[in-house]
Parts: sequence; structure tokens; C-alpha cells
Amino acid sequence: MLEMLLSVLIVVGALFTFIGSLGLARLGDFYTRLHGPTKATTLGVGALLIASVLYFSTRGEGLSLHEILVTLFLFITAPVSAHLLAKAALHLRVRSIAPPPPEAEDPLADTRVRAGD
Amino acid sequence: MNLFFVVLIPFLGAGLAAWVSRFGRLQSAWMAGGVTLVALIALTPSLPAPFLGETLVQRIPWIPALGLDLVLRLDGLGLLFALMVLGMGLLVILYARYYLAERDCMGRFYGYLLLFMGSMLGIVLSENLILLLMFWELTSLSSFLLISYWQHREDARTGARMALAVTGLGGLAMLGGFVLLGEMVGSYDLSVVLANGELIRSDPLYTPMLVLILLGAFTKSAQFPFHFWLPHAMAAPTPVSAYLHSATLVKAGVFLLARLFPVLSGTSQWSILVIGAGLATLLIGAYFALFKHDIKGLLAYSTISHLGLITLLFGIGTPLAAVAGVFHIINHATFKASLFMAAGIIDHECGTRDMRRINGLWRYMPYTGTLAMVAAAAMAGVPLFNGFLSKEMFFGETVTFSANHTWDWLLPAAVVVAGIFAVAYSLRFIHDVFFNGDPIDLPKTPHEPPRWMKVPVEILVAICLLVGILPAFTVAPLLYVAATGVLQTAPPDYDLAIWHGVNAALIMSVIALIGGILIYAGRRPLFNLATKLEGLLDARAVFDGLLKGLLALAGAVTRILDTGSLQRMLLVFILSALTLGTVGFLGGGAPLTGDRDLLPADAVSLLVTIALIIVALWTVVLHRRRLTALIVMGALGLLVSLIFVKFSAPDLALTQLSVEVVTIVLLLLALYFLPQYSPAESSWPRRVRDIGVACLAGGGAAALTWSVLTRPYESIADYFLENSVPGGGGANVVNVILVDFRGFDTLGEISVLALAGLGIYAMLKDLRLPGPTCDARGRPWNWDMHPVIMAALTRLLLPLALLVSAFIFLRGHNLPGGGFIAGLITAIALIMQYLANGVEWTHVRMTSNLHPVIGAGLLIGLLTGLASLVFGYPFLTSAFTHVHWPVIGDFELASAIAFDLGVYLVVVGATLLILVHLGLMHHASHPGEQEPNHA
Repeated sequence: MLEMLLSVLIVVGALFTFIGSLGLARLGDFYTRLHGPTKATTLGVGALLIASVLYFSTRGEGLSLHEILVTLFLFITAPVSAHLLAKAALHLRVRSIAPPPPEAEDPLADTRVRAGD
Repeated sequence: MNLFFVVLIPFLGAGLAAWVSRFGRLQSAWMAGGVTLVALIALTPSLPAPFLGETLVQRIPWIPALGLDLVLRLDGLGLLFALMVLGMGLLVILYARYYLAERDCMGRFYGYLLLFMGSMLGIVLSENLILLLMFWELTSLSSFLLISYWQHREDARTGARMALAVTGLGGLAMLGGFVLLGEMVGSYDLSVVLANGELIRSDPLYTPMLVLILLGAFTKSAQFPFHFWLPHAMAAPTPVSAYLHSATLVKAGVFLLARLFPVLSGTSQWSILVIGAGLATLLIGAYFALFKHDIKGLLAYSTISHLGLITLLFGIGTPLAAVAGVFHIINHATFKASLFMAAGIIDHECGTRDMRRINGLWRYMPYTGTLAMVAAAAMAGVPLFNGFLSKEMFFGETVTFSANHTWDWLLPAAVVVAGIFAVAYSLRFIHDVFFNGDPIDLPKTPHEPPRWMKVPVEILVAICLLVGILPAFTVAPLLYVAATGVLQTAPPDYDLAIWHGVNAALIMSVIALIGGILIYAGRRPLFNLATKLEGLLDARAVFDGLLKGLLALAGAVTRILDTGSLQRMLLVFILSALTLGTVGFLGGGAPLTGDRDLLPADAVSLLVTIALIIVALWTVVLHRRRLTALIVMGALGLLVSLIFVKFSAPDLALTQLSVEVVTIVLLLLALYFLPQYSPAESSWPRRVRDIGVACLAGGGAAALTWSVLTRPYESIADYFLENSVPGGGGANVVNVILVDFRGFDTLGEISVLALAGLGIYAMLKDLRLPGPTCDARGRPWNWDMHPVIMAALTRLLLPLALLVSAFIFLRGHNLPGGGFIAGLITAIALIMQYLANGVEWTHVRMTSNLHPVIGAGLLIGLLTGLASLVFGYPFLTSAFTHVHWPVIGDFELASAIAFDLGVYLVVVGATLLILVHLGLMHHASHPGEQEPNHA
């Protein structure tokens, strides 16, 4: 029963990681490609981590909770990196399928000009 | 153990004396005096021993395997010199307090003086020859500092450099001599050496050994032809001259002659070399002293002459001559120090030292004049003063020594000539300065010096008189033990009486006195003659010429080897390595492939290897686009850490990962200031050549690795694996090696890391570089330097990362981890705060002063190591125990964890110091920009 559960979790994890990678390789432009790896980091890695918790906790060596820490790190870092990538792409006006939103206004544009003088 | 304190106290006091000068000008004088007194008190418990005929030896094992211990000895000779060094030190400290001017830094002066005093005490109390040599070199260094005390004066700097060069060279020669000597008897301990005189004198290497040791002694004691540094050392402040050139520095050479007298003397080589040098020095010094117009120059040459006299006495080699030598060491110290001090007073009060201008001072300072007259009379060898006694012994010894030789009148005649000159220059010192008309055009109107400035001179002059009149009641016991210390047996009978009846020595003294007065009376034509002859025998010109030649040679060699082109140097380096490797390999004749069975190649290793090769090539291809190449290099680092995981080296993998992150951040910060694209600089043929060289070098390294890996390999790994748990108390062998088996290495490495951090800090501090305001394609930087999402979430990350770091640190002893990795993780976590929130925001919340962190780390590492010494184990032995904590469970407590904490702190401190200051430079290049979120 446990083995079945573990197998399902691992296969699901692998599947979503694959889908994420495929998306990264195949999608149309930078912004949509950014979308791909999120599948891998959430569902993919999540399922694998749950499998890991189950496997190591049922071996009789006590509860294994390191994976929670891994999850926490992922949840904190994944949005930051995605946000920074998107921000950089917007700033550099990377080609996009959909028309990009009007550029965010630079609140310090005036001061910069003055400092530049 | 009190002898160790005697030597150590001045060294510790040097720092103290320099430090207290910030609380007032005179504090350091008091401190220096106090330190010297304490050292004297530390010596007192041992004072009786030499008088009871004992030799105290105190030993602390240091490097027993090399026969090198910290071992000190106190016998009569050591006692005499220790008392002279400390006693004269006290007087000089008192004198210098009045001598030094308002603008002279007292702390520096007394610090140097105490350093010198400690080194000198080390020389005279050493039992081990190598230890003696170390202190010998320390006196060279500290006397360099003392002579160059007035750094703004060019003559002080050149004089100090000359003294250091000459005595330093002598010290090197002496090291060779000591090693030979130690090898002859199989021990560097003086007790053993002194007991094996016969063995040493019959050794085939006796002559080279003697020459090398004598080179050391002669350079230090300014013997001809190395005498020229001493007059130039007169650029030092007069207290320094009084100390160095009466009782201490220059006496170190004759001390060594006395120390090794029982072992080295008694051969014809000894007699020829030592008598030759001594006699030449005696005559040359006496001759030049008469014709110097500078008071201190006169005293300098007379010092040279008297050192020659002492050397000559030791060269004669009879026990009685050695007694006379020791006696003259004492007498010369007293009268020459007082004369130097008197000269200092005259210089201080007149503003010049030129005897052609200083005349008739008797009217202005009769008291100082009287003191100087007594001391000068002792120097001249006038009866009733101490110089007379030892000089008469000296005259007597030369007569006895020459009695059986064919030219038996030559040596006595020569020393009488020197005696005549000695009387003449002593007379000149008194008559020219205190009488002989009126002063000519002095910068100041002279008057008597402050009361306490005269006290040291009074004490010394009183000693001159007491010893001269009542030798049996004053100096006799000390002279007896000192002579016993020199000869290592009871000295022969001698008589210290003033009147021995009419004998050869007395007649020689009388001739010297009368001759000296006559010569001085007829000095005018002699002076004219001397002026004409001047410059014929200028040792300084020879020295300068040699120095110039040496520098030119060094310059030429450097120009040939260092062309200034890094590429060419690398090419030479790689090609030489290749050539040597190829020659070695072809010459050895061993097959490239060894006889070990090859392992089957598995898919993962193969894939990773291929990936590595591709990425490495990619870096080369991309190297002009620097940022992109950097990212690719990061991938390379991650692949390498995967390989470490594959070969079950989790510690290395962790280290590689964290180092990779820090490196990338570091390079990103640095690249910011460089162009983003490197231009193509080399031509095609050159590139082809470089590719060829690179392929050859890489191929060579690969071939080497291949041939090593295909051979059976016995390593010391098994030892570590077996002893890790029982010996170091940790299951993580890598960590146990780092903090225990090779902890000393690690201590060295963290010191290097700390120094590197500080060095980079020193270079970056206050460095302002203009950073680019837009990227390579002219797009400006984004206005949002610290995006909110990243800033907020990074703060959340900090405690988690610190938790991981603590976890890695604590488990390090038994599982993958340790202080180094934990330190890098902490550093990365903190750097993240800088990157996400900006320097200003972070500095409000965290100290920017990282030096204490580095210092604390080094200190903890060192103290952990020293703690094991306290318990009687070797340095850095670790102890461990298991304690049971509630909730957490069984927990191992190892002293190695404290050491690891030291490593951790140094890594955090140094890494942050480097990165933060690179970042600050970055920040400073955009002074106009505020931080939108938090400013």
C-alpha cells in the first residue's frame, strides 16, 4: 500500500517536473516560458518531497521533517526569482506575444536627471 | 623559571611603554624605568647562584626534535652582562628622559630601547646557540630602530641601514658557524659545547667554523675591517649611543668571544685571526679618534679602539688575559657610557658637537667638566681610575705573550703606540672642550644641565673612581665570578692592586702617558698631516660601492626575469613545467598506463563529464561577453559539486556549492566596474599558439592524472579513517582532519584568510571608482534598485538560513558540515540582505565593523589550541565528551567545536568584509541615487 502511494507520488512529481521543463523549452516567448518552471517547483518538487517524508518517516528512524525546510526555501525563493526575471525582462523590453503593459513610471526620473547634470 | 621573566619582561614592557606615552610625555620614561626595575627584581633570586659556583639552567621544551629548546643559563659571565644591560639601561632611561626634546616621541624611543634590552638579555642568558642567534638578530633589528630613531634625518637612516647590513651579514655567517659547531658536538646546548673543547679544536671543520663565528663577532663588535658602521651609527640620539656603544650592542661580539673562549681559543688560527683583528682595530681606532672633530666621532673611534683591545686580550688566549678582557669590559662600559652622556650634555647645551667650536666650557659647566675629566682619565689609563688597572693588566699580558717569540718587542710596542694615542685623544676631549680659549659661535649659551641629567653620569664616574681606588672591595667578587664563567674553571691568581712595583707594564703605562701628552702638545702639524691623509682609507666608500653593485646586479636579474607581461610569464611557466614533466616522464621509462584494473564507466559519470567539457568550452567561446561567461562558469561549479556528490564527498560538495555562490557574487560586484565586453586583443597566429600551448598543458595534466589513477594507490587515508572516532571524537573524517589532525594547518589557513580580507579592505577603503550609469547597449539601470518582493522575502529567509547554518555547524563533527561551510552560508545569508535591502538599510541593523569578528575568530582558534597546552597535551589536541541534554538527547561536546567556531567567525568576517566593501564601492559610484524604499 505504502509502495503504491510512494510510486504514485514520485510519478506525479516527475510528470510535473517534465511538463515544467517542456514548457520552458517549448513555449512562445520569455514571459510564457517563465510560467513553465513554476509547475516543476510547486507540484513537481512538492510531490517528491511528500514522497521523501513518507519514505524516511516509515523506516523506523523517527520523523523526517527536513523536507519542510526545503519546501519553505522553495516557496520563498521561487516567487522572488520569477519576479526579478520578469522585472528584468520588462526593463529590457524583451519580445512578447501579447502586447506588454505600458512601462512603469520611474518615480525618480526627475532626481536622476538633476543628479546627472 | 625566573630567567624567562627577566628576558620576557622588557619585551612585554616595550609595548606598555609605547602605549602609555599617549597619557603624557613622561609616562613612558616611568614605565620603562619600572619595567627595568621589575626585570632586575626578577633576576635577584638567581643572583647568589654564580657566586656559589653554580650554573643555573632553566629549560622549556620547544622543538625537541630539532634539539631546540627555550633554555636559558646564568653563570658568572651571563650575570655580569645581565647586570650591565639592566643597570646601564636604568641610567640611560633616566638620562634620556632629560635628553630627548619636546618633539621627540618618547613612547617610540622607550619601546625600542626595551625591545633592545630584552634582545640583549636574551643573548647573554641563552644556553642554546640557536636561541642565542635569534636574540642576536633581534639586537640587530632593534638597534636599527634605535639608530634610525630620528627618521627625518638622512644620516640616521643611512647609518642605521649600514649597521643593519653589516651586523646582519655577520649574523648570517654566525648561523653557519653555529650549525657547524652544533653538528660537531651533536648538541646546540652551550653546556655540552663548552665541555667538548678538545673535540671541537681537533675537528677538520674547525677553521671554517671559527672564521664564520668570528665574522659574526667582529661585525657586531666593529672590528677592523668591519669597524666603519660604528661611527655612522653616531647619528643616533646620544642616550642610544651611550647604551649601545658602551655596555651592550658592540659588547655582544666580545661577549661571544668570551662565551666560546674555552672552546675556540688555544689554536694558532684563533691567535692569528683574533690578535690580528684586535690589534688592527686597536691601532686604527686610536689613530682616527685623535683626529675627529666631532665629540661623538672621537668617542666612536675610541670605542672601536677599546673593543680592539678587548678582542686582542681574548686573542692572546691565556686565562689571565681573559680575566683582563672581562675586567676591561666592565671598565670600558662605565667610563665610555659616562663620556657619551657627558658628550650628550655638551651637545644638548651647546647645540653642536664640533670640537673646533666648543672651547672653554669650564667656565660654563665646571661640574660636568669635572665628571668628564674623571671619565676621560679612566679612558686614558691614569692611575687611581679603573681604566688604569685593566690597561696595566693588558700591557703586562702582551709582554708575557710575546716573551717567547722572536719579534717579542713588536706587540708591546704596538700597544704602547695605541696607548699613547689613547692618552692623546682623552686629553683632547678634555682640553679642547673645556679649556683652549673661548667658545666660537655656539648656537646656544651653555650652562649646567638639569640636576637629574647629571645623576647617571655621577653614578658611573663614582664607579670609575671606586673601582680604580679600591678594586678589591668593589669589583673583585663580580670579576671573579665573571672570569670563572668565561674560563669555566676557577681563574688563575691575579692581583688587583694599583702598585705592583716597577715592572714592564708600569713602564709602558708611563711611556703612554708621557707620549700622549707630547703628541697632543704637538698636535697642529699632526692634524694637518691627518687632513691630507683623510679619504685614503674610507671603508664607507667600499661599502657603498659594494651595495651599489649588488643593487645593480639585482636590478639586472629582475629585468631579465620579469618583463612585465603576465602572458609571457605564464607562457614561460607553463612551457617550463611541460618541458620538465616531459623530460621526467620520458627519462623514467615507466608506461603511461599502470597495472590497476579499470572501473566500468557508468552513464552518470559520463554524462557529467561530457557536460563539464561542453560548459568549459562554452566559457572559452563566450569569454568576451563577461557576464554571460560568468553565468556559465557558475554552471561549471554546480556540475563539479554534483561530481563530488557522485564520489561520496558531501563535504566537498557543500563547500563547492557555497564557495560558488560567494565567488559569483564577488565577480559580479567586481565586473560592474569593468567593461561588459572584452575586445579581441590577440592576433590569429597568437591565438593558435595559445590554443596549442593550452592543449599541450591540459593533455599533460590529463596524462599525469591518468597514469596516477591507473596505478594502485596507498594513501594515509586509512589512518584517518581508523583514528577519526577514537582520536578526534568525530565521525566526519574531513572535519576531524580539518580541526584536529591538521588543525595547525587550518589555523594557518584562517590566518591567511583573515589577512587576505584585511588586505582587500585596505585596498578598497576610500577607493572611489566611477561605475557605468547604463549597460553596454546604452539602456539605463532600472530605477528600482531594491524590489519590494525580494526585499521582504529575503528578510524572511535570514532566520531560516541562519538556522541551516547553525545546523550545519553543529553536526559538522560527525556528519557533513563544519565551521567553514556554516560560515559561508551565514555570509551568503547576510550578503543577501545587503543585495536585497541596500547597504544603508543593513548597516542600521547590523554592525559594519567586521574586524572584531575576524579577530575574535582567530583568538578563539588560537586559545583553543593553547588550552590543550595548559592541560599538558600538544598544541591543538582536542578533547571530547558526551553529555545528555533533556529533549535533544545525547550530544557530543568536543573542544574542536570551539576551534570550528573560530573558523566560522573568520570565514564570516573575512567574506563579508570583502564583499561589503566591494558593494560599498559600488554604492559610492552612484552618490546621487537614494534608496527609494527605505531612505
